[in-house]
Amino acid sequence: MDGENVLECRGLRRSFGRLAAVDGVGFHIAPGETYGLLGPNGAGKTTTISMIAGLLERDAGEVTVAGEPMTTHSVRAKGALGYVPQDLAIYPDLSGRENLMFFARLYGMPTARARSRTDEVLALTGLADRAGDQVKRYSGGMKRRLNVGIGLLHQPKLLILDEPTVGVDPQSRNAILEGVERLSGAGMAVLYTTHYMEEAERLCDRIGIIDHGKLIAEGTRDELVSVVSEGDQVRLAATGDLAGAADDLAARPWVRQARALDGSIDLVVDHARSELPSILTEVAATGVLVRSVEVTEPDLEAVFLHLTGRALRD
Amino acid sequence: MHAAWLICAKDLKARLRDRSAPLIGIVVPLALAFIFNVIFSGISGGSGVISLGVVDADHGAASQAFTQQVLPAVKRSGLITIHTEASAGRARARAADGTLDAVIVIPAGFSARVRAGQPASMQVIGNVDAAIAAEVARSIAEAYAAELNRVRLSVATVTAGHGTVGDTQALAARAAATATPVAVSDVSAQTKELDTKSFFAAGMAVFFLFFTVQFGVTSLLEERSEGTLARLLAAPVSRASILGGKLMVSFGLGVISMAVLAVATSLLFGADWGNPLGVAVLIVAAITSAMGIMSLIAALARNAEQAANWQSVASVVLGLLGGTFLPASQAPGVLSTLTFAAPQAWFLRGLGDLRGGSLGVVWVPALAMLGFAVVAGGLALFRLRRLAEV
Amino acid sequence: MKVLWIALANLRRMFRVRTNIFFVFVFPMVLILVFGASFGGASTPRLGVVSTGSGPLGATLLRQLEQTPQLKVVTVADQADLLTKVERGNLAAGVIIPSGYDAAVRAGRGMTVRYLARPAQASQQLGETVRGAVARQSALLGAARFAVTQHAAPSFDAGLAEATRLAPQVPAVTVTQGTAGTSLFPSTLGQFDIAASSELLLFLFLIALTGAVALIETRRIGVSRRMLATPTSPATVIAGETLGRALIACVQALVIIFGTALLFGVHWGQPAGVAAVVILYILAAAGAGIFVGTLFRNEQQAIGISLLLGMGLGALGGCMVPLEIFSPTVRRIAHVTPQAWGNDAFAKLVGHGASITGIWPQLGALAAFAAVLLSLAAWRLRRVLSA
Repeated sequence: MDGENVLECRGLRRSFGRLAAVDGVGFHIAPGETYGLLGPNGAGKTTTISMIAGLLERDAGEVTVAGEPMTTHSVRAKGALGYVPQDLAIYPDLSGRENLMFFARLYGMPTARARSRTDEVLALTGLADRAGDQVKRYSGGMKRRLNVGIGLLHQPKLLILDEPTVGVDPQSRNAILEGVERLSGAGMAVLYTTHYMEEAERLCDRIGIIDHGKLIAEGTRDELVSVVSEGDQVRLAATGDLAGAADDLAARPWVRQARALDGSIDLVVDHARSELPSILTEVAATGVLVRSVEVTEPDLEAVFLHLTGRALRD
Repeated sequence: MHAAWLICAKDLKARLRDRSAPLIGIVVPLALAFIFNVIFSGISGGSGVISLGVVDADHGAASQAFTQQVLPAVKRSGLITIHTEASAGRARARAADGTLDAVIVIPAGFSARVRAGQPASMQVIGNVDAAIAAEVARSIAEAYAAELNRVRLSVATVTAGHGTVGDTQALAARAAATATPVAVSDVSAQTKELDTKSFFAAGMAVFFLFFTVQFGVTSLLEERSEGTLARLLAAPVSRASILGGKLMVSFGLGVISMAVLAVATSLLFGADWGNPLGVAVLIVAAITSAMGIMSLIAALARNAEQAANWQSVASVVLGLLGGTFLPASQAPGVLSTLTFAAPQAWFLRGLGDLRGGSLGVVWVPALAMLGFAVVAGGLALFRLRRLAEV
Repeated sequence: MKVLWIALANLRRMFRVRTNIFFVFVFPMVLILVFGASFGGASTPRLGVVSTGSGPLGATLLRQLEQTPQLKVVTVADQADLLTKVERGNLAAGVIIPSGYDAAVRAGRGMTVRYLARPAQASQQLGETVRGAVARQSALLGAARFAVTQHAAPSFDAGLAEATRLAPQVPAVTVTQGTAGTSLFPSTLGQFDIAASSELLLFLFLIALTGAVALIETRRIGVSRRMLATPTSPATVIAGETLGRALIACVQALVIIFGTALLFGVHWGQPAGVAAVVILYILAAAGAGIFVGTLFRNEQQAIGISLLLGMGLGALGGCMVPLEIFSPTVRRIAHVTPQAWGNDAFAKLVGHGASITGIWPQLGALAAFAAVLLSLAAWRLRRVLSA
């Protein structure tokens, strides 16, 4: 149904022994939305994903995919989901085409449709000319592309990508990110887990920050960043009486810090975007010539640090 | 169900590609059965017709009764071939070089001494390595000697009882005319045992069966470590289908392997497995027992490599215990009971009984093997549930 | 020195897999026990006898059979059980002394004892032995009966006692037995002596071949390539792998030799000779193992081929059934295997008490096998490691 969320999960809980890997996670994903689950290693991302995909039994909580309840036995809900695991999950002794055909049929596609979709995915992933070769002969990058391709075969409503760029060379990584952007642009809902802040910022409409099994913050990038009250950094590359301009600016209430350096003025202000015109006017009034302006807002790393006192990446 | 079939087909394709399944399932057992066959049919001694040489230096009544009545009767039973030799020296030489298995020499004067009631003797010379043949020759001679002695003893007993020496000749004639009190008649029993060729064919087939079926359930462990199990679990297929597909692979490979081996050994080596329907029932039961046991081991193992190791050990131990390498009937005491702790023993027992009996004899062994399947398989299923926790 | 390190790493890896410990030590001893008990030496045929209700005279006949050295009597309760056991081969044959035997013989009615056997040569032969034993008994009974009919004895028992008393004194027709020819097997050989050395050869080869699987693993994990990246020559890597395998085999050989000597009293022959045969054979086996290991990329294929070669060559080479029993042609063919030469050497060492000088031809052949197989192994290993 249009308007209905592609994914809804509430109160997810899962323990392994005495360790609570996931402790009360819940969020939703709207159709066509790209949702990022951002957290350090061991935060509980994969466990959450496994519960959502119906791989792992939940201790508590509910999952609904495209309106269908999801359990480890659900057939309908799983049919709406595409899953791309972090580790390569492909059969090395079969060819690329055979891998795709197998999964297509497994997802219930009749043979003719399976064949046409297989061809489409092969084209999409650029593997058409090596389709007949056994996968064990593919390069690492090709294997990754096939890994993602399998998830897309049945045109799922929601595509789950579990840390797809870990251990991947920069070129392939870029290709993957571009691919995901294309998919999002085409209207597919994506659940993307990662511990790379840049990826979350680049791809995701909304981001959930997860740590120690709990969702500690959620929202758009801007919403999250606004949680941090560090202020924005502004660097003005300028010539003239920099020290005098700095002192003037420091007097303003919304300027937290002002420093004159060799060739630039570094400021820390409350909200650079709204205050930038005033800054420039002030500086111009002092006779300083501004050559370039660089604004650095807090990033998600800062958000995470603010929320947990730890770094996102170790 | 459809999903199970898809998974089964995918696995079979992969297995046939790396050639391991046909190798272990067909080539190796066939080759070994062939080799054992060659060796065991190349063995002489102990179970061939005995070449018996006869030297009659006497040509008297007693010796001729032996050579012309007793020996031909034994020959008619197919036990011996008779070779008349001219002299004892020549006969001994032929026994020494092995041309003859044994020789019976009746010295000159034998009949006269027999008639006169004097000690007489026949001589048996056997080739040193044909102990059984020599023993048989001796028994034949001793049976004849015992009959002669019966007459003598009868006369002596009567004489002693009467206290006087009467007409010994007449007594002897009367004693000889009386039939010997105890005779031995032959009763033929059926053979409920596989002959050598068939034994090795069936033995090797069922030994390697336990390796062949490993490919099925163990692949679940492999898929888990390769990451593809997660994909299968994420797909809209039930867990029962996934397990079912894997079990189908084991079963399919088992059936193909056993069927090909049964047909090939019959055609190529002349092995006789028996009534096809009975054989089929036993094969299916054997396959399920193998699947049950191998699955249980896979379910208890931590990873595919450990599973493969333990499965190999179990296959060898059970195969050995179950008598796939040597007929259980020849095993010493305790082993002949312990052997039935292995399903292979039931399989071979079933085939053996089928050889000499009707179709109904296969039910007990088949049920015994199914018992293994149910118990081991049940335990395996119980443990396998936690395998799905990715 | 590096060679030793590589070898030790090999050993450590092997024993980390606990099932290998089973295969290396426990399994051979078990198999020797089983094979030795069944194949190593002629076993006395087992004759089942049913004699219920046959009376005192039946018991006497039973005793007569029990005293016959060529067979081992097993008393069986009923005929149905006897039939089953004979049919299945648990008993070589069966004898049924009918109930009423006692009365019938005393009364002078002819009695028939049934001999139950399968239509196989071995069973028929045993029948003659049974007939001989019965005939001896029949002579006594016949004399007793005759005495009664001739009124020379007041009762059957009296007649039987008299006949039994007289039997040793009556000049008898006897059968003397002699043998001709020279034996293949000296009579001093114990049941396990023949089997033990053959099984040792079988196992060493099997272990060497299945050890090939470990080599495949090493390649797959890329460790051997990593070894080559270190300042280690290929020759050293090869020597290390070989030494590792050979060391494992030596340990196994020692376990089997001392184990069987202590537990089963097996004789192995002159130590120098035994050492020479075992070492050369192990080198040949190690070469074969490594060679096979380089041929396959897939563990399951390697296991299959290893089992085939190990058992096939072993059987052909006389490890399961003695070479002496083979037909001459097959025996000649068997000598394409190192096992056959090893078995020949042991037959001389154990059976004929030869010393190391007496087995030069066999040692030479084994050395040739070792040289060829190790060369093949080295060549393949070099090619594979640099591929």
